[in-house]
Order: sequence, then structure tokens, then C-alpha cells
Amino acid sequence: MSSVSVPPSDVSAGLLARIAQGDREAFGRFYDAFAGLALGLIRRILRDPAAAEEVLQEVFWQIWREAARYDPRRGSPEAWLIVRAKTRAIDRLRAMRRREKTFVAPVDEAVASAPDLPAENPGVTAERRELAHAVLHGLPESQRRVVELAFFEGLTQSEIARRLGEPLGTVKTRARLGLERLRSMMKREGDIQP
Amino acid sequence: MNRDEILELAAGYALGALDTEDRARFEALLDAGDAEARAALRDFEATVRDVVAETAEVPAPAVKAALMARIDGESRSRAEVTQILSAPRAAAPRRSLWTIALVGAIAAGIAAIAVGLVVSTVYDRRIDQLGQQQVELQQELARQQELVAILQDPATRTVALAGLPAAPSARGRMLWHAKAGGLLVAQGLPPAPPGKAYEVWAISGKEAPVPAGVFTVDARGVGSIRVAPVAGGAEPDTFAVTLEPAGGVPAPTGSMYLVGKL
Repeated sequence: MSSVSVPPSDVSAGLLARIAQGDREAFGRFYDAFAGLALGLIRRILRDPAAAEEVLQEVFWQIWREAARYDPRRGSPEAWLIVRAKTRAIDRLRAMRRREKTFVAPVDEAVASAPDLPAENPGVTAERRELAHAVLHGLPESQRRVVELAFFEGLTQSEIARRLGEPLGTVKTRARLGLERLRSMMKREGDIQP
Repeated sequence: MNRDEILELAAGYALGALDTEDRARFEALLDAGDAEARAALRDFEATVRDVVAETAEVPAPAVKAALMARIDGESRSRAEVTQILSAPRAAAPRRSLWTIALVGAIAAGIAAIAVGLVVSTVYDRRIDQLGQQQVELQQELARQQELVAILQDPATRTVALAGLPAAPSARGRMLWHAKAGGLLVAQGLPPAPPGKAYEVWAISGKEAPVPAGVFTVDARGVGSIRVAPVAGGAEPDTFAVTLEPAGGVPAPTGSMYLVGKL
């Protein structure tokens, strides 16, 4: 079962339409509904809490500026947000890695001095991470690798194929099978914990 | 396109992992309203969302506060940006990617220039206002400092001016310094009729009165005027106020309202 309650897509799409008109209150509601979702994903990619919250702010600033570009034919509002959060987080990760390669002492002072979030409850957070970890590890290794490389490393399918030394067609099939399996796993989980 | 292929494209799309060409193909299907493609995408997107939701975390309140503050700071120019960016899209929804990109880039450029102009105009105006205010404050400060200097100087004398039959209850006080000039404050004078004003005269013995400035009074009958020192001539011993044509005249012509001797 989802750890957050996500409003129906048409409600979220309505919020985005209002945000596109500069509606501050709609933006606040959209943020409240999805910031937690986005932050969890960003932290899964970045790990550093301070950098993750910076990216979260950038992502929602982008939402505020570009809400008019949302096209409901091309997916749900939350998927639109998730892709942006993922892309921004991966961009930041790559920038941090480049910097680590550039400097001999790769200590980012900001990162080093940033205190860990006085998180809601570290135990709960860790537990949820384990849960997501467990969900993905419920996939066969070959499918999990494809899903992880796509989603958490931001590789395209042909990049994944090169990385794994597999034919492109195989990668495409594994992505689909992986998601289908995840879907049935999430449904089962939902059934057990309604 | 067969069903398997659609499902594969939908999965790759939901993961954000399609290569450029595949993505364009799948988006073309979505844009064309292909029901199967949409259903598959909805399904996979929900799965991705549910997996992501497992790790949801509550952000620090400061993140939202910072965003809201940023929005408030930008809100004035925001409406124009949206208007400019959305206008060409609404007019022609189906365009090639390149056209949209080009129009978007031009619109963004125009929007940036428009916002820049608005912002710079607003700030220019503000800077002008502040400059003007600063000049006024400096002038006021100089007047006050001059007055304080006159008051502190032991050579400064005070002359009381009394009301004459034209305005018996009127009173005046002149702070006078031979070298620095003086300040006259009057009260109880009737408002000057249209086209008229009160004129101050500095008189030395039997010599002709020397014009020393024109002033008006407010609704309460109070007015004041800074009087320049009398150049070259003898030290004045008498000050008087008459009602004259608004621009002032070289020699008194109207009724006298106030008079006082040093």
C-alpha cells in the first residue's frame, strides 16, 4: 500500500491547470500532496539530505514555472512530477560525481557540514527504504537491474543494453516484465494491508 | 504496432528510459488518443508511483516556505510570462516539435525581455522617486540646520510683530540675524484672496521699505518665510507685512497687516 495518499489524477491535473494560471494556493496543495513522494525518490538517488531538499525545491520551482506544459494525454500529473524529480536528482548526482573526479579532495564542504535531517522518525524512514528495497528485490535479478538502471541511474534503454552487454530487445522486454511483476506485487501488498 | 510492442514502449516510457526515437513514436500514439497505449501507460505509471511512494519522506517545512517566498517575489511578472508562453500554444495546438521548440524559445525570449523591461522600468521609477526624496530631505535638513545655527547665535534677535486693524488678532515673530537673515512666522492672518499674497518688508529708518519675500498662509492662518539678509543697505529696524499682488511688488501698495520693531 502507498505510504502517501495521492489525489486522483483529474484533481491533480486541475491543480496543475490552476498553477499554470499562477494560482499560489493550488501550488501549495500540489506541493502538500506530492512533495513527500518526490523527496523519497530524490533521496533514493542522492542520499545526501541537504542536497535532496535543494533538488526538491528546484523541482517544485520548475513545476511552478512550467505547469502550463503539462499535457494530460502524455500521462498523469504525478508521473510528470516523478520524471522531473528523477531527472533533476540524476543531474545533481552526475554533477557531484564530476566534481569528485575533478578535485583531489572530494569533500563537498556543504555536504560534509550539513547536519542529518532531524527526520520524522529515522527508524520509520529506514524501514520504508527497506520496504522499497524489498519490493525491487522481489524481481528476478535481470529485471531488477534494468529497472534500477533506468529509474535510479537515468540510463536509456540502449545505454542499459550497452552497460549490460545485452540486446536492446531483451532490455525492453525485461523493463516491461519487471513493471508487470512489480504491479502484481504492489497489488498483493495492497490486498494484505488495505 | 502490435500489443507487445505498445506494452514495451509504455513500460520504457513510465520508467523514463525510452531512447529519443521510441519516445517520439510512443508520444505520437498518445497524442493520437490510442486507447491501448494510454491504458498501458496509466497502469505502469501507477506502478512506478506506488513503488516510489513506499519511500516517501516528509520534507522540512523550510522547503515549502522558501518556495512560497520565491513565488511571492516573482508573482507580479508571472502573469505576463504565462500569457506570452501560452498564447501561441492555444492558437495552434498541433505543430511539429521543431516549431513548438522554436516558438517556445522565441516566446521565452520575448517573455524574458518583457519581464526585464517591466522590472527595470519599475526599478527605474523607484530609483527616481528615491532620488527625488533624497534631494528633498537634504534640502529640508539644510533648512533645519540653518535655522538651528541662527537660533544658537547670540547675535540673533527676536522681533514681535503685532496685528494691525486689517487683522487685529494676527501675530508674528521674526528671528533676525544681520548676516544670516531671518525667519518670519505669522499666525492669525486671513487667507490671501486669489491673486494676492503677503509681502515682507525690511525698513531702515526713513529709507524706503526693501521687499524681503512673499508668502501665503494655510487654512489656519499660519505661514512662514525665510528672509534673506539685506544686501549692502543699513541694518533694518522695522519689519512689516502687507497684502500685495501674488508675485510681489517693489514698493508696498496694499494694507499693512503686521508690523514690529527691533
